Amino acid sequence: MRKSYVNNNIKIEEFDALIKITVEMSRYLYPYIRQILQSKENLEKNEDTWNDFNNRLIDLIKERFNLDSIRVKKLLNKTNNDETIIKLLLTLSLCISNHGNQKLKNFLFDI
Amino acid sequence: MQNKLSFHQSSVSLEIIGLPDYSNNENKDQISIISQWKLNITDKPLIEGKIEHLVPIMDAFYIYANLLIKNKIPIYESKLIDIKADNLHTHNIFLKSPRPNVKPLTLKIGNSLLSDTINCFDQLNESSRVRINKSGQSNIIPKKVRFGFKNKINFFNSIIPPFIAICSLILFSSAFIYFYNPVEDKEKNELINQK
Repeated sequence: MRKSYVNNNIKIEEFDALIKITVEMSRYLYPYIRQILQSKENLEKNEDTWNDFNNRLIDLIKERFNLDSIRVKKLLNKTNNDETIIKLLLTLSLCISNHGNQKLKNFLFDI
Repeated sequence: MQNKLSFHQSSVSLEIIGLPDYSNNENKDQISIISQWKLNITDKPLIEGKIEHLVPIMDAFYIYANLLIKNKIPIYESKLIDIKADNLHTHNIFLKSPRPNVKPLTLKIGNSLLSDTINCFDQLNESSRVRINKSGQSNIIPKKVRFGFKNKINFFNSIIPPFIAICSLILFSSAFIYFYNPVEDKEKNELINQK
Protein backbone atom coordinates (compact mmCIF):
# COMPACT_ATOMS: atom_id res chain seq x y z
CA MET A 1 0.00 0.00 0.00
CA ARG A 2 2.96 2.34 0.61
CA LYS A 3 4.46 4.52 -2.13
CA SER A 4 7.65 2.47 -2.17
CA TYR A 5 9.18 0.15 -4.75
CA VAL A 6 11.41 -1.67 -2.27
CA ASN A 7 9.84 -4.76 -0.71
CA ASN A 8 11.86 -5.24 2.45
CA ASN A 9 10.51 -7.80 4.87
CA ILE A 10 10.19 -6.31 8.33
CA LYS A 11 12.30 -7.93 11.06
CA ILE A 12 10.71 -9.09 14.30
CA GLU A 13 12.66 -6.47 16.32
CA GLU A 14 11.45 -3.71 13.97
CA PHE A 15 7.88 -5.00 14.23
CA ASP A 16 8.07 -4.96 18.05
CA ALA A 17 9.55 -1.45 17.99
CA LEU A 18 6.75 -0.20 15.70
CA ILE A 19 4.14 -1.74 18.01
CA LYS A 20 5.76 -0.04 21.04
CA ILE A 21 5.83 3.35 19.28
CA THR A 22 2.19 2.96 18.18
CA VAL A 23 1.03 2.05 21.69
CA GLU A 24 2.98 4.91 23.30
CA MET A 25 1.59 7.37 20.77
CA SER A 26 -1.99 6.16 21.22
CA ARG A 27 -1.57 6.40 25.03
CA TYR A 28 -0.36 9.98 24.63
CA LEU A 29 -3.04 10.88 22.07
CA TYR A 30 -5.92 9.02 23.77
CA PRO A 31 -7.89 12.20 24.62
CA TYR A 32 -7.77 13.24 20.95
CA ILE A 33 -8.65 9.77 19.66
CA ARG A 34 -11.59 9.74 22.07
CA GLN A 35 -12.68 13.19 20.93
CA ILE A 36 -12.65 12.09 17.26
CA LEU A 37 -14.70 8.99 18.07
CA GLN A 38 -17.13 11.10 20.09
CA SER A 39 -17.44 13.61 17.29
CA LYS A 40 -18.44 10.88 14.83
CA GLU A 41 -21.05 9.59 17.33
CA ASN A 42 -22.75 12.97 17.30
CA LEU A 43 -22.05 14.63 13.96
CA GLU A 44 -24.88 17.14 14.31
CA LYS A 45 -23.30 18.74 17.37
CA ASN A 46 -19.62 18.40 16.61
CA GLU A 47 -18.79 17.48 13.05
CA ASP A 48 -15.69 19.71 12.75
CA THR A 49 -13.36 17.38 14.68
CA TRP A 50 -14.28 14.35 12.54
CA ASN A 51 -14.12 16.29 9.26
CA ASP A 52 -10.74 17.87 10.13
CA PHE A 53 -9.30 14.50 11.09
CA ASN A 54 -10.70 12.78 7.98
CA ASN A 55 -9.36 15.50 5.66
CA ARG A 56 -5.90 15.41 7.26
CA LEU A 57 -5.79 11.60 7.10
CA ILE A 58 -6.74 11.67 3.41
CA ASP A 59 -4.02 14.27 2.73
CA LEU A 60 -1.43 12.05 4.44
CA ILE A 61 -2.59 8.96 2.56
CA LYS A 62 -2.34 10.84 -0.76
CA GLU A 63 1.15 11.98 0.19
CA ARG A 64 2.58 8.62 1.28
CA PHE A 65 0.48 5.78 -0.13
CA ASN A 66 0.32 4.19 -3.57
CA LEU A 67 -2.77 5.75 -5.11
CA ASP A 68 -3.07 3.04 -7.77
CA SER A 69 -3.84 0.41 -5.14
CA ILE A 70 -7.55 -0.49 -4.86
CA ARG A 71 -7.30 -0.69 -1.05
CA VAL A 72 -5.87 2.83 -0.92
CA LYS A 73 -8.63 4.05 -3.25
CA LYS A 74 -11.20 2.55 -0.84
CA LEU A 75 -9.55 4.39 2.06
CA LEU A 76 -9.73 7.65 0.15
CA ASN A 77 -13.43 7.29 -0.55
CA LYS A 78 -14.98 9.58 2.06
CA THR A 79 -18.41 7.97 1.92
CA ASN A 80 -17.14 4.43 2.54
CA ASN A 81 -14.03 4.84 4.67
CA ASP A 82 -15.86 5.58 7.95
CA GLU A 83 -15.97 1.97 9.13
CA THR A 84 -12.25 1.34 8.52
CA ILE A 85 -11.19 4.58 10.22
CA ILE A 86 -13.47 4.05 13.24
CA LYS A 87 -12.16 0.51 13.70
CA LEU A 88 -8.57 1.74 13.47
CA LEU A 89 -9.23 4.44 16.07
CA LEU A 90 -11.07 2.01 18.32
CA THR A 91 -8.20 -0.49 18.10
CA LEU A 92 -5.73 2.21 19.10
CA SER A 93 -7.94 3.43 21.94
CA LEU A 94 -8.18 -0.11 23.37
CA CYS A 95 -4.40 -0.60 23.46
CA ILE A 96 -3.35 2.11 25.89
CA SER A 97 -2.92 -0.14 28.93
CA ASN A 98 0.42 -1.45 30.22
CA HIS A 99 -0.15 -4.65 28.26
CA GLY A 100 -1.19 -2.63 25.22
CA ASN A 101 1.71 -4.01 23.13
CA GLN A 102 0.44 -7.55 23.46
CA LYS A 103 -3.15 -6.46 22.88
CA LEU A 104 -2.26 -4.64 19.67
CA LYS A 105 -0.26 -7.64 18.44
CA ASN A 106 -3.23 -9.92 19.14
CA PHE A 107 -5.57 -7.60 17.26
CA LEU A 108 -3.18 -7.48 14.29
CA PHE A 109 -2.67 -11.25 14.18
CA ASP A 110 -6.43 -11.88 14.43
CA ILE A 111 -7.38 -9.57 11.54
CA MET B 1 -12.96 -1.24 57.68
CA GLN B 2 -13.19 -1.99 53.93
CA ASN B 3 -10.69 -0.84 51.32
CA LYS B 4 -11.79 1.25 48.36
CA LEU B 5 -9.92 1.54 45.09
CA SER B 6 -10.96 3.65 42.09
CA PHE B 7 -9.92 3.47 38.46
CA HIS B 8 -10.66 6.40 36.18
CA GLN B 9 -10.64 6.86 32.43
CA SER B 10 -12.18 10.06 31.04
CA SER B 11 -15.96 9.66 31.56
CA VAL B 12 -15.92 6.30 33.31
CA SER B 13 -14.85 5.33 36.81
CA LEU B 14 -14.78 1.93 38.45
CA GLU B 15 -14.80 1.56 42.23
CA ILE B 16 -13.80 -1.66 43.93
CA ILE B 17 -14.67 -2.23 47.59
CA GLY B 18 -13.37 -5.17 49.56
CA LEU B 19 -11.02 -6.66 52.10
CA PRO B 20 -7.53 -8.18 52.04
CA ASP B 21 -7.16 -11.91 52.49
CA TYR B 22 -5.33 -11.98 55.84
CA SER B 23 -5.01 -15.78 55.65
CA ASN B 24 -2.52 -15.21 52.77
CA ASN B 25 -0.57 -12.59 54.79
CA GLU B 26 -1.66 -9.80 52.44
CA ASN B 27 -1.11 -6.08 53.04
CA LYS B 28 -3.78 -3.88 54.55
CA ASP B 29 -4.20 -2.04 51.21
CA GLN B 30 -4.77 -5.18 49.17
CA ILE B 31 -8.27 -6.19 47.98
CA SER B 32 -8.77 -9.90 47.41
CA ILE B 33 -12.26 -10.37 48.79
CA ILE B 34 -14.38 -8.01 46.70
CA SER B 35 -17.68 -7.27 48.40
CA GLN B 36 -18.97 -4.62 45.98
CA TRP B 37 -18.09 -2.78 42.79
CA LYS B 38 -19.56 0.30 41.12
CA LEU B 39 -19.22 1.32 37.49
CA ASN B 40 -20.05 4.95 36.97
CA ILE B 41 -20.50 6.17 33.40
CA THR B 42 -21.18 9.90 33.07
CA ASP B 43 -24.87 10.67 32.34
CA LYS B 44 -25.80 7.00 32.70
CA PRO B 45 -27.33 5.08 35.62
CA LEU B 46 -24.88 3.64 38.15
CA ILE B 47 -24.08 -0.05 37.66
CA GLU B 48 -23.17 -1.97 40.79
CA GLY B 49 -22.99 -5.56 41.88
CA LYS B 50 -21.05 -8.32 43.53
CA ILE B 51 -17.88 -10.13 42.42
CA GLU B 52 -19.88 -12.91 40.69
CA HIS B 53 -21.30 -10.23 38.35
CA LEU B 54 -18.07 -8.30 37.73
CA VAL B 55 -16.08 -11.00 35.91
CA PRO B 56 -18.88 -11.95 33.44
CA ILE B 57 -19.51 -8.25 32.71
CA MET B 58 -15.79 -7.62 32.09
CA ASP B 59 -15.61 -10.69 29.84
CA ALA B 60 -18.69 -9.50 27.95
CA PHE B 61 -17.09 -6.12 27.22
CA TYR B 62 -13.78 -7.69 26.13
CA ILE B 63 -15.43 -10.25 23.83
CA TYR B 64 -17.79 -7.64 22.35
CA ALA B 65 -14.91 -5.24 21.62
CA ASN B 66 -12.99 -8.05 19.93
CA LEU B 67 -15.98 -8.91 17.75
CA LEU B 68 -16.43 -5.24 16.89
CA ILE B 69 -12.85 -4.89 15.68
CA LYS B 70 -12.70 -8.21 13.83
CA ASN B 71 -15.43 -7.20 11.36
CA LYS B 72 -17.86 -9.72 12.80
CA ILE B 73 -21.46 -8.98 13.75
CA PRO B 74 -20.97 -7.71 17.30
CA ILE B 75 -23.59 -9.46 19.40
CA TYR B 76 -22.91 -10.81 22.87
CA GLU B 77 -25.61 -12.59 24.82
CA SER B 78 -25.48 -14.24 28.23
CA LYS B 79 -27.69 -14.80 31.26
CA LEU B 80 -26.44 -11.61 32.89
CA ILE B 81 -25.68 -9.18 30.08
CA ASP B 82 -26.47 -8.64 26.38
CA ILE B 83 -24.55 -6.19 24.22
CA LYS B 84 -25.76 -5.42 20.71
CA ALA B 85 -24.77 -2.80 18.18
CA ASP B 86 -27.37 -0.36 16.84
CA ASN B 87 -24.88 0.86 14.28
CA LEU B 88 -21.14 1.48 14.08
CA HIS B 89 -21.28 4.16 16.79
CA THR B 90 -23.99 3.06 19.22
CA HIS B 91 -23.96 0.00 21.44
CA ASN B 92 -26.93 -1.21 23.50
CA ILE B 93 -26.20 -2.83 26.84
CA PHE B 94 -28.94 -4.85 28.57
CA LEU B 95 -28.15 -5.76 32.17
CA LYS B 96 -30.50 -8.46 33.35
CA SER B 97 -31.48 -8.81 36.97
CA PRO B 98 -31.50 -12.31 38.53
CA ARG B 99 -34.68 -11.32 40.38
CA PRO B 100 -37.96 -12.19 38.64
CA ASN B 101 -40.24 -9.44 37.24
CA VAL B 102 -37.40 -6.89 37.11
CA LYS B 103 -36.93 -5.28 33.71
CA PRO B 104 -33.36 -5.24 32.33
CA LEU B 105 -31.43 -2.01 32.68
CA THR B 106 -30.74 -0.60 29.21
CA LEU B 107 -27.79 1.66 28.43
CA LYS B 108 -26.79 3.20 25.12
CA ILE B 109 -23.10 3.99 24.83
CA GLY B 110 -20.86 5.16 22.02
CA ASN B 111 -17.40 4.03 20.99
CA SER B 112 -15.73 6.59 23.27
CA LEU B 113 -17.53 5.31 26.38
CA LEU B 114 -16.93 1.71 25.32
CA SER B 115 -13.18 2.28 25.12
CA ASP B 116 -13.22 4.21 28.44
CA THR B 117 -14.98 1.29 30.15
CA ILE B 118 -12.58 -1.30 28.72
CA ASN B 119 -9.60 0.84 29.74
CA CYS B 120 -10.98 0.97 33.30
CA PHE B 121 -11.23 -2.83 33.28
CA ASP B 122 -7.64 -3.00 31.95
CA GLN B 123 -6.47 -0.85 34.87
CA LEU B 124 -8.26 -3.16 37.28
CA ASN B 125 -6.69 -6.26 35.68
CA GLU B 126 -3.23 -4.70 35.83
CA SER B 127 -3.55 -3.38 39.37
CA SER B 128 -1.30 -5.12 41.86
CA ARG B 129 -3.61 -4.09 44.70
CA VAL B 130 -6.66 -6.02 43.49
CA ARG B 131 -6.70 -9.75 43.02
CA ILE B 132 -9.66 -11.20 41.12
CA ASN B 133 -10.25 -14.92 41.35
CA LYS B 134 -11.55 -15.92 37.93
CA SER B 135 -11.37 -19.68 38.39
CA GLY B 136 -15.00 -20.04 39.40
CA GLN B 137 -16.22 -18.05 36.43
CA SER B 138 -14.50 -19.93 33.61
CA ASN B 139 -17.32 -22.49 33.32
CA ILE B 140 -19.92 -19.86 32.44
CA ILE B 141 -20.09 -19.85 28.65
CA PRO B 142 -22.22 -17.12 27.10
CA LYS B 143 -24.87 -18.12 24.58
CA LYS B 144 -23.32 -16.39 21.59
CA VAL B 145 -19.74 -17.42 22.30
CA ARG B 146 -20.50 -21.10 22.03
CA PHE B 147 -19.91 -20.76 18.30
CA GLY B 148 -16.44 -22.26 18.80
CA PHE B 149 -17.93 -25.69 19.57
CA LYS B 150 -20.57 -25.28 16.86
CA ASN B 151 -17.85 -24.47 14.35
CA LYS B 152 -16.05 -27.69 15.25
CA ILE B 153 -19.22 -29.68 14.64
CA ASN B 154 -19.82 -27.78 11.38
CA PHE B 155 -16.24 -28.46 10.34
CA PHE B 156 -16.67 -32.22 10.84
CA ASN B 157 -20.08 -32.12 9.13
CA SER B 158 -18.54 -30.45 6.10
CA ILE B 159 -15.50 -32.76 5.97
CA ILE B 160 -17.23 -36.14 6.50
CA PRO B 161 -19.46 -36.21 3.32
CA PRO B 162 -16.60 -35.57 0.83
CA PHE B 163 -14.39 -37.99 2.77
CA ILE B 164 -17.01 -40.74 2.50
CA ALA B 165 -17.52 -39.88 -1.20
CA ILE B 166 -13.79 -40.22 -1.95
CA CYS B 167 -13.58 -43.49 0.02
CA SER B 168 -16.55 -44.95 -1.89
CA LEU B 169 -14.97 -43.89 -5.22
CA ILE B 170 -11.74 -45.68 -4.29
CA LEU B 171 -13.67 -48.81 -3.25
CA PHE B 172 -15.70 -48.87 -6.50
CA SER B 173 -12.69 -48.28 -8.74
CA SER B 174 -10.72 -51.01 -6.94
CA ALA B 175 -13.67 -53.39 -7.51
CA PHE B 176 -13.45 -52.74 -11.30
CA ILE B 177 -9.89 -54.11 -11.34
CA TYR B 178 -11.42 -57.61 -11.10
CA PHE B 179 -13.34 -57.10 -14.38
CA TYR B 180 -10.37 -55.77 -16.30
CA ASN B 181 -7.41 -58.09 -16.87
CA PRO B 182 -4.38 -56.19 -18.22
CA VAL B 183 -2.52 -59.50 -19.18
CA GLU B 184 -5.36 -60.57 -21.49
CA ASP B 185 -5.45 -57.14 -23.03
CA LYS B 186 -1.72 -57.30 -23.79
CA GLU B 187 -2.09 -60.70 -25.50
CA LYS B 188 -4.92 -59.37 -27.66
CA ASN B 189 -2.82 -56.40 -28.72
CA GLU B 190 0.10 -58.69 -29.62
CA LEU B 191 -2.18 -60.88 -31.81
CA ILE B 192 -3.51 -57.81 -33.65
CA ASN B 193 0.04 -56.58 -34.29
CA GLN B 194 1.13 -60.00 -35.67
CA LYS B 195 -1.75 -59.93 -38.18
